Amino acid sequence: MFLRIVGESFLRNPRRKILTAAALALGMAVATATLTVALEVGDRMAREFRSLGANLLVVPQSDTLPLEIGGVDYRPVDEGAYLREADLGKLKTIFWRHNILGFTPFLDTPAIVYGSKPIRTTLIGTWYEHRVPIPDGTQFTTGVSKTHPSWQIRGRWFQDGSSEAVVGAALAARDPAHLAIGKTIQVRPSEAANPAWNLLVTGIVSTGDAEEGAIFVPLAFAQAYSGHGGEFRRLYVSALTKPADVLAERDPRTLSPTEYDRWFCSPYISSISYQMEQVLPGTEVRTIRRVADSEGRILSQVSTLLWIVTLAALAAAALAIAATSAAAVLERQVEIGVMKAIGATNTRVTALFLTEHLTLALAGGAIGFVMGTALARFLGASVFGVPASPEFILLPIVLALAALVALVGGLIPIRRVAHVDPAPILRGE
Amino acid sequence: MTETLVEVEQLRKEFGNVRALDGVSFAVDAGEWIAIMGPSGSGKTTLINILGGLDTPTSGRAIVDQTDLARLDEAGLTRFRAEKIGFIFQQFHLVPYLTALENVMLAQYFHSTTDEHEARAELERVGLGDRLDHLPGELSGGEQQRVAVARALINQPKLILADEPTGNLDEANEQIVLGLLRKLHSERHTILMVTHAPQIGALADRRIDLHHGRLAPAPARV
Repeated sequence: MFLRIVGESFLRNPRRKILTAAALALGMAVATATLTVALEVGDRMAREFRSLGANLLVVPQSDTLPLEIGGVDYRPVDEGAYLREADLGKLKTIFWRHNILGFTPFLDTPAIVYGSKPIRTTLIGTWYEHRVPIPDGTQFTTGVSKTHPSWQIRGRWFQDGSSEAVVGAALAARDPAHLAIGKTIQVRPSEAANPAWNLLVTGIVSTGDAEEGAIFVPLAFAQAYSGHGGEFRRLYVSALTKPADVLAERDPRTLSPTEYDRWFCSPYISSISYQMEQVLPGTEVRTIRRVADSEGRILSQVSTLLWIVTLAALAAAALAIAATSAAAVLERQVEIGVMKAIGATNTRVTALFLTEHLTLALAGGAIGFVMGTALARFLGASVFGVPASPEFILLPIVLALAALVALVGGLIPIRRVAHVDPAPILRGE
Repeated sequence: MTETLVEVEQLRKEFGNVRALDGVSFAVDAGEWIAIMGPSGSGKTTLINILGGLDTPTSGRAIVDQTDLARLDEAGLTRFRAEKIGFIFQQFHLVPYLTALENVMLAQYFHSTTDEHEARAELERVGLGDRLDHLPGELSGGEQQRVAVARALINQPKLILADEPTGNLDEANEQIVLGLLRKLHSERHTILMVTHAPQIGALADRRIDLHHGRLAPAPARV
């Protein structure tokens, strides 16, 4: 009978309920849209941020203090520690391997380039687009195209394994007649070194940083040139990470087993760094703060903004429900009074109204989810150029939120149901 | 020996400074049909509400079927109404979105469990066997009041309280409802009926006249 009463109330007295369901549907649509975007925005924005370049730097743990001027390492080649190129494939075996979007080894070695005059510079051996063998038998293509996408090249990058070079724009400006595309240049590790090494200039690169004073060559060339076959000095890594929170900032050695699992299974910079150090023993992973900090800050701000919008939508829906529920209780006072007069307990009448509210919450939540998913597609397409895909995991969350909003909004009016005194109402007062 | 069903002693009810009932005492035997009469504001409806457990007295005692209503809390009064009282209101007060059958079953539901067969039989008894699935809005005033009578009777209450049961009906429907009340009386139901109309009051076994919340000097057996 209970369900029959609720059902008939919906079928034959739908006016007020449609208003309540509409308020809920609108609130839930906004909540669904913002939550869908919030779920996607971290990933999408993190990928967008990756265009800023690498956010992690791997160096040997036992390295000597670098002699860096303007970001270029001027140490002699026989100083400092080196890392093994053969180990790099292991980076794609860590727990967060799919979040490693790219990595590029750099091998810096001093050089004198001979043009119209000898110029002291640095040869940087690296990859542009290099196929790295992964232990599982596959290959991963990576290089500066992945870790330094903002670098602007005029001409083209060198071929892997060739004797080609890309000259930094600042260096090229010092001897434009000889350090130009199509020219062959000679380099030596020192004035006394013989013979000289010939390089064909294929491009001029603008990096916006100190590397503009260097010459980029294939890593294999730099290894042969410096006598450090199969080695490199530093590694730039571009990794998708989530903004740091309290857990991310803690020392993993102080975490309880549960906290450690949660930390390990979250793509924090700290946990990814930790996993990288495990597969590249003897290394130290440093965060490139300039990139990682601004990325984390913006992601946090966007996330906060979306939460505020969601809460505002839910609060607005709760207020609308409070208003329509109050009107509905007032409108149905006689009905409540009659039910009480013929023996309905407060619990039973309140349960009727609560069930109506929860039914409306489910209906409004489901409609809101569909509307919100469509809205999120539109927002995703406008902001990121790709429509946000439906997040079905949100459906139970949205339905639970709708129920909560309906209960919070209807709490005061429904409490009033229990206080309806049938006698004056039935007298028509 | 006749059983006393209702016993009222020195019943008082005050609404602020207004004294709606002022020391009313009387008794009603089981199976009696009592007409409560008096001018507007004399306390008739207040008396009915107290006897029906919808209101509580300021002082005095109201005992219905050996239950002292002053001793019942809100939940107890609700249970009392469900089990012992059948209300018939002037305005019918049917739930507008439930059919005639469902309105009768609603009283069953709040009493214990529903029995559609019994509810149908009760509606057939008041001559509405062909109106079971009609909504109140689709029924005439007389038909609505007959649904209300069926709803009042469905749980076999000890006492039927009728507040101006024909006050909103035309003459034809009034006769139908009065016919039903006569039938109930012949079946030994106890009825307390508020009415303004002397000719309706004359149908009852006895009149209780109220004036300014007090019993008129000589309530007469009709």
